[in-house]
Amino acid sequence: MRVAFKITRTLLGRAFDDLYRPHPFAAERVGFLSCRVGALRPSGWVVLAHDFHSVADEDYLRDRAVGAMMGPAAIRKAMQIALSHEVCMFHVHIHEHRGQPRFSKTDLRETPKFVPDFWHVRPHLVHGAIVLSLDSAAGLCWHPQYPKPFRFSDISIVGAPMVAVRSVNEREI
Amino acid sequence: MNERSKRQSFLGSQSDRVLGDCSVAIVGLGGGGSHIAQQLAHLGVGSFFLIDPDLVEESNLNRLIGGTVEDATKKTLKTLVASRLVRGINPLAQVVCLDGKWQEFHQILRGSDIIFGCLDTYRDRYELEITARRYLLPYIDIGMDVHEVEGRFSVSGQVILSMPGSLCMRCLGFLREDLLAREAENYAAAGGRPQVVWANGALASAAVGVFTQLFTPWHEGHAECVYLEYDGNNQTVATSNRLAHMRGKQCPHFLQFSDLGDPFWIPEKS
Repeated sequence: MRVAFKITRTLLGRAFDDLYRPHPFAAERVGFLSCRVGALRPSGWVVLAHDFHSVADEDYLRDRAVGAMMGPAAIRKAMQIALSHEVCMFHVHIHEHRGQPRFSKTDLRETPKFVPDFWHVRPHLVHGAIVLSLDSAAGLCWHPQYPKPFRFSDISIVGAPMVAVRSVNEREI
Repeated sequence: MNERSKRQSFLGSQSDRVLGDCSVAIVGLGGGGSHIAQQLAHLGVGSFFLIDPDLVEESNLNRLIGGTVEDATKKTLKTLVASRLVRGINPLAQVVCLDGKWQEFHQILRGSDIIFGCLDTYRDRYELEITARRYLLPYIDIGMDVHEVEGRFSVSGQVILSMPGSLCMRCLGFLREDLLAREAENYAAAGGRPQVVWANGALASAAVGVFTQLFTPWHEGHAECVYLEYDGNNQTVATSNRLAHMRGKQCPHFLQFSDLGDPFWIPEKS
């Protein structure tokens, strides 16, 4: 099944600007993209990024094992956005290199822990995570009807110039 | 880079792949859309959704690229004429013909990378732009008209790139409530609008140039909003003064969460 992801160049720029800011103690920043979804024919979904939501400085936890660890307040605030606006929430962070990024073992371990929280407020929507590199991206999304997450099969940066990443990261999870 | 695209190598070393992976939807395959289909096939675009409910008539033959007398006699679908044209140029192209109004195929349309609108009415343009914005699709609109002014004729037209996040056709003053209302009032009386092959060709060429600059930019002038005005009497295409007036302003439309995606999305059964 095709799962496409689209984001405007302007919004992506806003996300990068925020995620590049230094944090008082965390080694990196994280945030959330609120998204809406559309059906594709013959089969598939398109996830459409609408807005970027920064994680407040005070909502990070001190954890030297990872670059950034969100506290419960960060998740709670993201859940509130999902509830208030009927949107999907995607955790987002940067891997600072060029080319196709991959989710780290930590990403793959931690993301499935908080994604189900969003189903408490928006159970019929997909939620997930996106990792950005300097010139590419990868994404995973979960839906409660499906036992395994879906990888974004194509990612489009909508703007001038247009950038499309096709059939990204086909390896099994 | 393959042999057939050597003369367009300035589009970049990856341009064959980028264009080959690209999926375009062309809504309206008359005088403008048929030109666009032909040019995109020459360029190397790999995938086409061709959308038009109409059959070829004799009155189309003054401008329909690829259309023949036999097509008019047999009342061939315009999508089939365009498909034949595309496949004749690039047999590897994937072509999906959708013979009906575009609204019937909006779920297929949204799977493309960009939409070309070659429509006759403001209402259709208005609705198609809303759909394009809803699914974050760039939309390139072309159109021409002939006005009678003091007994003389004035040929004009436009090419507009409506990019999600940037100025829309309402911001640019191209779509206005009064035009939509006037069109609705005159709907039953609307006759065939004048259309000529050279004006359609000029507008289609400019539109394909805008597309190519978006996907395989060959210079640094990346414009997210384009509004070109065609003066068919003086044979010029120039940036509209309206765009200069709006430069630096934000589009106030399509900002709500509910402006994106399906209003009520439910995944298909697993």
